[in-house]
Amino acid sequence: MSQRSRSVALIATTALVAAGLAACSTPEPSPGVSEDTVTVGTHTPLTGPAAAGYSSISAATKAYFDYVNDNGGINGRSIEYIVKDDGYNPATTSTVVRELVQEDEVFAVINGLGTPTHSAVVDYLNENDVPDLFVASGSPKWDQPGTFPNTFAYNASYIVEAKALATYAQETWPDKTFCVLGQDDDFGTDFTTGLVQVLGADGLTSTQTYSVSVQDVVAQIGAMQAAGCEVNFLATVNGFTALALGTAAKMKYGAQWVSSSSGGDYPTLVGYLGEDVAPLLLQGFVSSNYLPFSPDDAWVSLFQEINDEYNDGAPFSGNTVYGMSVGYLFAQALAKAGDDPTRESLLDALEVGALTGNGIVPLSFSKDSHAAFQGVGITTVDEGVQDYVDGQIYTTDAGNGPVEPYTGEAVALEGDGIPTA
Amino acid sequence: MDRLVFLLGTGLARGAVLALFALALVLIWRGARVVNFAQGAMAVVSTYVAFEVTSLTGSYWLGLLAALLAGGLLGFAVERGVMRFASPASPLSGVILAIGLVMVLQSALGIVFGPDYRPMRVPFDDSAIVVGGVPLLSPYDLFVLVVAVAVMGALAVLFRWTSLGLQMRAAAFAPEVSRLLGVRVSRTVTVGWVLSSVVGSLAALLLVPTSLGLNPHATDSLFVLGFTVAVVGGLDSPVGALVGGVTVGVAMSLVTGYLGAGLVPIAVLVLLVLVLLLRPAGLFAAAEARRA
Repeated sequence: MSQRSRSVALIATTALVAAGLAACSTPEPSPGVSEDTVTVGTHTPLTGPAAAGYSSISAATKAYFDYVNDNGGINGRSIEYIVKDDGYNPATTSTVVRELVQEDEVFAVINGLGTPTHSAVVDYLNENDVPDLFVASGSPKWDQPGTFPNTFAYNASYIVEAKALATYAQETWPDKTFCVLGQDDDFGTDFTTGLVQVLGADGLTSTQTYSVSVQDVVAQIGAMQAAGCEVNFLATVNGFTALALGTAAKMKYGAQWVSSSSGGDYPTLVGYLGEDVAPLLLQGFVSSNYLPFSPDDAWVSLFQEINDEYNDGAPFSGNTVYGMSVGYLFAQALAKAGDDPTRESLLDALEVGALTGNGIVPLSFSKDSHAAFQGVGITTVDEGVQDYVDGQIYTTDAGNGPVEPYTGEAVALEGDGIPTA
Repeated sequence: MDRLVFLLGTGLARGAVLALFALALVLIWRGARVVNFAQGAMAVVSTYVAFEVTSLTGSYWLGLLAALLAGGLLGFAVERGVMRFASPASPLSGVILAIGLVMVLQSALGIVFGPDYRPMRVPFDDSAIVVGGVPLLSPYDLFVLVVAVAVMGALAVLFRWTSLGLQMRAAAFAPEVSRLLGVRVSRTVTVGWVLSSVVGSLAALLLVPTSLGLNPHATDSLFVLGFTVAVVGGLDSPVGALVGGVTVGVAMSLVTGYLGAGLVPIAVLVLLVLVLLLRPAGLFAAAEARRA
């Protein structure tokens, strides 16, 4: 083929492709939506060291979706949930999220888990206009509608939690010495920022950190004991909460522990500490939560039934409630996104504030806020039962806004926990 | 001053376990001239055996015995069933087989037992003895120290004064010559693996109750640190493992106490780099001509 005729062929091909594209310009349904299904996906650690704390979440979400699907789905569509294992390794997260978007063609990514892992894909998801809903991390980073218009947070941010817990601690134990043990990453730093907002720059007598790669906190707990710490805040994951309490007990160091919700789930802590000693070590343990957790709550009963029927009766913990609550919130968003949901209508449903979720404080989704929960309730453990402390719910923001008591009602269960439009 | 004493005590207890695990690596190096990357995963398998036996019988000591037996069997099975097929042409072949074995063992444990951490109990009081207001070692820490020193002593005797130990060293150092001299090299290599796996299992069993608990990945960091200790002390030297273990344990404790926990992994790396630069064979390596 001569140079000239090759050019002609190239132009002709280009023209054909252009014509083809023009013919397709009528709006297509969003990826992942068919006549009777909606496909969504997530990334989460199912293997590796982080699997212990988190693999039960996606299983619970899946169980909830199975329950919804068995009861007719949402607007006649069943929800398919693709769970990708990233082993909590950001490099793997990049790969599996690209698989979700490009090969599985998911409608949205929901509840992608972890700050370092999700940070690896947040730009990609926003550049490709994939809804990135209900990130499973308390980093304030996900609430940036200007930078990440497709990203919506789920957890109350570490700062919000810390401010609420510090306010409660200050009111309950005004004359005690406050200290903190935090993870040496965003989690610990953000949480400590929140504490300092309330307690003041010199409000913390000792600030200790730990690294997840060293399973030993003797030196840190020893330092807190030596500094005379009486009320210790914990920005720790569940395993290290257990390790901190166990270590303190071995050193005969009695203190009041006040933990972030990320490391304050009683059933999970019992798993680490053992059923014999856990109720003793955790007596009076204070934490925070924003989801239904009281043993007699209607949501909890429903989730327990779903867990028995659709999740093989897996151990019921805060992770189970969390996973199912995320599922409920997505189902609600989908129900509000219309009979023929598109990615735009899904995001619109979130931004107009149409969602209630099932938390103890209202959701704060709007055009200007992509944070879900701007408040938490205080929980405490008494004789092996973790429950909310009556009347101790606080709302605040992730900035330097005031911490205010919240007196409204928690969102009540309606319609068998299956949202409708 | 109180703080320094406290941190030294803490570091000593942690260092003893590291030393014991490093010793297992030294053993295999001496017996077969390979670095066993599967040491941690093999040890965690034995620890699960101990956990199950202790749960069934209620006896810590039966669990311990079962773990040592399981460790020995596993060492035998791994050497005869896997490592024997490593190509002698390149040391990488054994390393890659071992890493593959880690994946298989950890995944199998994950499938059978799930990813959750299980708490393990110890037969001694593990609350610290307070001396002059400073919490020092607990009785359990002392038990760990005694076990570590005893095992080290026994192995020193084995390698220095027994025919089997001398044969193992000879076989690892010069397999061809040893064969000519009548040493059953294939048998000494297997014995090396069995011994090493038993010691590694013991180290894991002593460590796990003081950490987050039992999980398929419970020995990941033990392996990394134990490997560092073995290299710092000299892969050849049991005494080096002991001194290296205590050095790394105390260094970790001091760095955590005075500089912050986030710097611990970096400090360990710096120590490793320094030793490799200044004394590449390790602090206690024998002279070149006698290395075996």
